Amino acid sequence: MTLAMRKLSLTVNGKTIDPVDVPETMMMQDFLYEYLNLTGSRMGCGQGICHACTVIVDGDDGAMREIRTCITGAHWFAGKKVRTVEGHATRDASGAITALSPVQQAFIEHFSFQCGYCTPGFVTGATVLMDELKRKPVRRADLEKTISEALDKHICRCTGYVRYFEAVRDVILKTPGLVKA
Amino acid sequence: MKAHVSRRDILKAGVAAGVAIEVSFLSSAQAQLIETPPRPGPDWLKADGRPKYRLDAIAKVTGEKTFSRDYRARDLEGWPKDQSHAFLLHATRVDRVFDSVDLSLLGDDLKPDRLVLHEDLVADGVVIPVPGFYGDVFLVPKGQNPRLLGQPVAMLIYRDFARYDAAKRLLRFNDKVVRYGAEAPYSHPPHYGASRYVRIDGGTPDAEDRYSPYKDTVIFAGFNGDEAAWPKPGDGDAMARGMAAADEIRKDIDGAGADALVIKHQYFSQSVDASAMEPDNGNVWYEPSTGILHAMIATQSPYEVAEVAATLVSKSKFPLKKIDLKVGYTVGYGTKDHSIFPFFCIVAALYGDGRPVRLANDRYEQFQMALKRHAFWMDNALVIDRKTGKFRAMSGHFKNDGGGRANFSFSVAFVGATAAQSIYYLPKSDFSAVALASRAVDAGSTRGYGTLQSMSATEMMIDEAAELLGMDAIELRLRNVFKSGMKNTQGAIPAGALRNEEILAKARQHPLWTEKAKKKAAYEAANPGKKYGVGYGHVQKDYGTGAEAALATLEFDAKGRLSFAHVAHEIGTGTTTSQAIMVRDILGKAPEATEYGKVEWPQMPLETTDEPYTMAQAEEDKRKQNPRWTPTFTSPMSATNSVYYLGHATREAARTLLELAIWPAAQSLWSRGIGGGVIAPYSVRREELRLDGGVINAGGLPALTFEQVAAEAHRLGLVTGVTVHTFNRWQWAQAEFDVAGSRHKLPIDALAVKYGDGASADNKALMTLAGWQFVERASIIYPPTQRNNAGVTYYAPMATLAELVVDTATGDVTLLSHHSIMECGTQVVPELVSGQIQGGIAMGIGHALKEYLPLYEDGPGNGTWNWNRYELPRSADVAVWSQTSEILPPLSATDPPKGIAEVVMIAIVPAIANGIAHAIGKRFYDLPITSDKIRGALS
Repeated sequence: MTLAMRKLSLTVNGKTIDPVDVPETMMMQDFLYEYLNLTGSRMGCGQGICHACTVIVDGDDGAMREIRTCITGAHWFAGKKVRTVEGHATRDASGAITALSPVQQAFIEHFSFQCGYCTPGFVTGATVLMDELKRKPVRRADLEKTISEALDKHICRCTGYVRYFEAVRDVILKTPGLVKA
Repeated sequence: MKAHVSRRDILKAGVAAGVAIEVSFLSSAQAQLIETPPRPGPDWLKADGRPKYRLDAIAKVTGEKTFSRDYRARDLEGWPKDQSHAFLLHATRVDRVFDSVDLSLLGDDLKPDRLVLHEDLVADGVVIPVPGFYGDVFLVPKGQNPRLLGQPVAMLIYRDFARYDAAKRLLRFNDKVVRYGAEAPYSHPPHYGASRYVRIDGGTPDAEDRYSPYKDTVIFAGFNGDEAAWPKPGDGDAMARGMAAADEIRKDIDGAGADALVIKHQYFSQSVDASAMEPDNGNVWYEPSTGILHAMIATQSPYEVAEVAATLVSKSKFPLKKIDLKVGYTVGYGTKDHSIFPFFCIVAALYGDGRPVRLANDRYEQFQMALKRHAFWMDNALVIDRKTGKFRAMSGHFKNDGGGRANFSFSVAFVGATAAQSIYYLPKSDFSAVALASRAVDAGSTRGYGTLQSMSATEMMIDEAAELLGMDAIELRLRNVFKSGMKNTQGAIPAGALRNEEILAKARQHPLWTEKAKKKAAYEAANPGKKYGVGYGHVQKDYGTGAEAALATLEFDAKGRLSFAHVAHEIGTGTTTSQAIMVRDILGKAPEATEYGKVEWPQMPLETTDEPYTMAQAEEDKRKQNPRWTPTFTSPMSATNSVYYLGHATREAARTLLELAIWPAAQSLWSRGIGGGVIAPYSVRREELRLDGGVINAGGLPALTFEQVAAEAHRLGLVTGVTVHTFNRWQWAQAEFDVAGSRHKLPIDALAVKYGDGASADNKALMTLAGWQFVERASIIYPPTQRNNAGVTYYAPMATLAELVVDTATGDVTLLSHHSIMECGTQVVPELVSGQIQGGIAMGIGHALKEYLPLYEDGPGNGTWNWNRYELPRSADVAVWSQTSEILPPLSATDPPKGIAEVVMIAIVPAIANGIAHAIGKRFYDLPITSDKIRGALS
């Protein structure tokens, strides 16, 4: 059996990745790990169940989509703009973090995680939720339900979801325009 | 608790096989363990010294490399950049002999660069380093039955990722790849052990016991077939007398009259996969030319991995001079403690042609070979006086299935048995524990360590007993609650205040309990087809192993910069945060520099025989005369040991520094000037010293900054650094040390000090060990070896009220809310404590309602299990927005913190079972209580 290869080019965290030979069958998470050395999007199940591996794909319409990299081939991302967990914080020219994203800041202040293996997926999922709420705010009374529905697909094994969800509620309420009166 | 299987026991096996290995801590192989530290931001502390976020928070939230799994060879300094990758092929049946592997599917392009079979290992002298504990062979030999389902038969190594990945995907799930030969009867390894804990009190809780394990002995048995062969009852030796006591209890139960309620049930608690999000993995580079083995492995027990790896390689044809083990952050809930997986990683490297080889389970493989929580079968009986509601006697005979490798199965069994009393005082008790071998995937240390299983059963039984007695279930508990100073079922008196009574009183007043009948009626009237229930569960869980050791060091420079180092490493629970905060709580400021997972302690030239559980008293008495001897050097990160036991080293280092440096230096500053300075007119005692916010106060004296005091300590040449080693055998070792002209009695067993810049030439001359003086102890008291029989003496309690609804059409259980009450002494970082409660409860909900693994052919060993069919609790399952908890305030600010990482997940399990009974009037004795079972019961 020969290994069929194809050139892949895409944008990851604002950087254009020049065409590289990537096996046609390789999943995106392995491309991120082994080719780009970005190991933050974590392999949990390899089945699309736990959502620890998700990344954001920024659409041309400006909307974000959350995509599971463990069950999506690397070549599906050809030409797309991808944001991994490593691309959320603001960094200076040397790569040092100068500011966390609001979601990241909320998670650390709420002690949302213990082991942190699922954290990249929650950062991604909550960021996408906030992006959706920007376009389609929810009533305050529906906020908890909205968060639950958006993030229930993410599995956390250490902290039982409470501190993630409270952090997300907190950052949504603090961000103008996401919640209707 | 975990006991009676020490690393030394493990390593003696290597010596017995004729391999001369001098095993003491990191000696012969000079193993090094280095943690890779994500550094926190500069502002991780609030102005009041409390943490704004975890020390590791920024690294984790930004996706930095933190887990061992994140590292490749290119990320590790000094390693070659080219990375090889390996995977294992597994046997999925044990009823035929293994023949070969058929890799024809791969074609020429995807053939492995190296195929490793058992016969290769035999030729090269690569053998299981700890026969018995880790089974007898790594890979199944040709012509022999696999020892357990899922056992690896071959290892495939690739020099590049792309081919490795493609080959692995091609072979996965293909049942033609592993070829079997003739049918052959399977025989499991010898069963793993049987022990029994019998106690009869002396008529009252205070009186001397007539018989107890602590006073007399634990009873051990061999096997007759699958049954434990207990000693014969008699009046001879202690075990015979123990069996006579057990006989008496059996007769009490069988012969109980009409004035007693006798409740008997058999309970089952299932095997589960801990499903730690980071699957087992390791990356190992063996350099044949130098004999150095470099490793980066996910483990909760790095010292064990280093030592056993040294044994493994030393016995093979591969020369070994040094082991360099790095550990990243990890998570395992116990299952990465003493797992065989790291040794498969070591083996992979030996066949890596000098290149680093990475072996990393995917989730299917993790189900197939990671350590499981033991399935338990429990046969319980309880006798209750109908008039008083008092328990007269309880027996519980437990069996667990340890699978095809022994691992900690025996100790998991007896720890489960010794916890079965839950929060109750039992005048008479007989608990036996039998660990059975089988073809199942091996089970080992997993959160709860047998106690989740046994205490859940007890709590389900108590609830049913209350119903049969027509008594409120909390009232029945109150009548039997274990009080401070009483003896546990091993006959030992637990540490400190046990505050279960306070918890029960609070629970009884909680609206969930007081309004349950009213709410049930209202809810069911409003929701036809739904049944409402409230259940209560209350447990106390031991923490520690009975041989807890740790090292910590604290020192400051003349500018007051405080540095802290500890052997502990991060497994997710936040120990790297809480240890630093413990320093802050005593010295008034958090250390500016922290180092965790520290392995090189040149200032502590200790010698250990590492037989803390098994050494005879006479031998220990002889050994301890050597001021450098200690029963064991350090503990794994497990058994809920970080805050209390590992924290003890932190706290004692800080307190000793306070005593030897801060107080005398502050006194010196306050005494400056004519007539003895500002302190002279006052009478200020040492206990008036207060350190907070980097400022030092005492008795109305002028405030000093930590920097001023540090400078003074250095100027005077006082002690400015201390390193302590601690040991606990259900109580602390204590030693006396002569330092700076006076004798100090401390709850530690070894001490090293460093003197300040202005020290005398004589003192400086003492600092011969990397700038430290090892202070030989002047006297030592180790807890007597008999204390091993105490089983446990440290407990933390928690109770949970679960409010739930059962859908009678689907059988689905929905948690509406839950409320927990816990006591944990003084909280170090409350946010970490509540996170533990919330996470533990989620895991307990999974155990009670969802998570289930068949043990044998349909189970995880078949390689098809993943989270699509093994359901983990999600946010919708845990009452994420409506759960609450409260923590009893400490009795005083001097209460030590208690380990709670395991107890938090247990009480919810019986609370749910009891809540379901309240909802639908049916009791379940087998976990998990799935929708199918409920539908079946209702039909």
